[in-house]
Amino acid sequence: MSHDANNLEDEITAMLLERLARFSTRATGLHPQADLARDLNLDSVNMMELLMELEDHYDVSIPLNTMADVSTIADLADRVRKVVETRS
Amino acid sequence: MSISERFAELAHVRDMLAAVEADPSRIVMQKILSPTEAVIEGRPTILVGTNNYLGLTFEPEILDAACAAVREQGSGTTGSRMANGSYFSHARLEEDFAAFYDMPSAMVFSTGYQTNLGLLMGLVRPGDTVLLDAHSHACLFDGCQASGADFSVFRHNDPEDLRKRLRRLGDKARETLVIAEGLYSMLGDIAPLAELCAVAKEFGAWFMVDEAHSFGVYGEKGRGLCEEVGILDQVDFITGTFSKSLASLGGFCVSRHPEMRLLRYGSRPYVFTASSSPANIAAASAALRVIRARPELKTKLWENAQRLHDGLSALGCEIASPVSPVIAVRVPAPEAGARAWNALLENGVYVNLVVPPAAPEGASLLRCSLSAGHSPEQIDRVIAAFAQVRSEAGAGAAQGAL
Repeated sequence: MSHDANNLEDEITAMLLERLARFSTRATGLHPQADLARDLNLDSVNMMELLMELEDHYDVSIPLNTMADVSTIADLADRVRKVVETRS
Repeated sequence: MSISERFAELAHVRDMLAAVEADPSRIVMQKILSPTEAVIEGRPTILVGTNNYLGLTFEPEILDAACAAVREQGSGTTGSRMANGSYFSHARLEEDFAAFYDMPSAMVFSTGYQTNLGLLMGLVRPGDTVLLDAHSHACLFDGCQASGADFSVFRHNDPEDLRKRLRRLGDKARETLVIAEGLYSMLGDIAPLAELCAVAKEFGAWFMVDEAHSFGVYGEKGRGLCEEVGILDQVDFITGTFSKSLASLGGFCVSRHPEMRLLRYGSRPYVFTASSSPANIAAASAALRVIRARPELKTKLWENAQRLHDGLSALGCEIASPVSPVIAVRVPAPEAGARAWNALLENGVYVNLVVPPAAPEGASLLRCSLSAGHSPEQIDRVIAAFAQVRSEAGAGAAQGAL
């Protein structure tokens, strides 16, 4: 990844960590490798809400069907970065 | 993820529900007494969670039609219409729906779920784009997923949010399929269909409405919310189910586009499923005749809805939406919801317990669906049961349970 891509992914990761803080528990903690469903217990509605917020923040469209292999916060940050870069 | 892990995951869900005594699979209707009453756990129970909006499941004219169809056509069709050919009754019911809506094309499917799955899998493919309301029913999400199209959601009942997301799609907005429902089944709220349709048309998008819970309930002739708000000539596809107001099992799609009928050649949930049984088709057909002939059923349904809404409001219940045939009482937490749901059952009232994510916005709901078949006395007994459960919860808990 280029320096710019790294910066963008770091920015997205930081935003995700902030928005997902309310889902973290003492047992799982909150870190980029946390699994959205298994560790943070995000359900399908939580996931949809999060995606809508990301779409609005970056003014992009992130189809739900592209989320099938997204498990962790880091996966999601990587996916969003690629969508944002494609738009740019 | 292995199959063993999957079994363990599902067992965990069952155990979680059992722990709060909220497993819906334990509800067995031991005897069905009428469209609005059954024996559950040995008790005669008023049913306020059946979606039997017009109360037609024991209507003599419908029962006679279904029984006659079994005698004349047999117990099943034993296959797909594209393989075995069509029974005359299926073809005639499609003509009836097309005539009812004054539209050139109609198709019937084997269930309501398969109707939306069949329409979406037939209409859109990988590379196509769909925008659907965030509160859409699972079958709409599943249809989108199975189609391979790119799909995203817009904020519930928010035409401006739809506009923003269509604008974001650029040139793709023009062929995008926008999907909304008429009456949303969990919160009991209705969509601003005219506004959503106008936004979709502004971008040249297609507009589809699922009237599963609004068919027979809204519109002068009972054709749904599209009729009520005057957009029947603009909406591109309307779907509905037989398993609510039509008191049967199956589903339909109508369209102002004659080409919709071509989906017979390319909709896998239509091609690769046995068509509905003759009894189901005959019952839906007879129920459609009843809806056309007896508009007073709709009036009775709305009177019942108003009576329950007024009664629960007077108790101080937090109801999710203005009056509609779905009245959802918000409960602060799933555990409190389960306690109240069980207490209502013990008081002879069956409602639907809905917990997240099926209940949107993080709420838990005690969901009531009204029927034209409810008597005013039954509605009053339901209100009295809620009052009883509220007073017990108030005495025993720091927070009101509902």
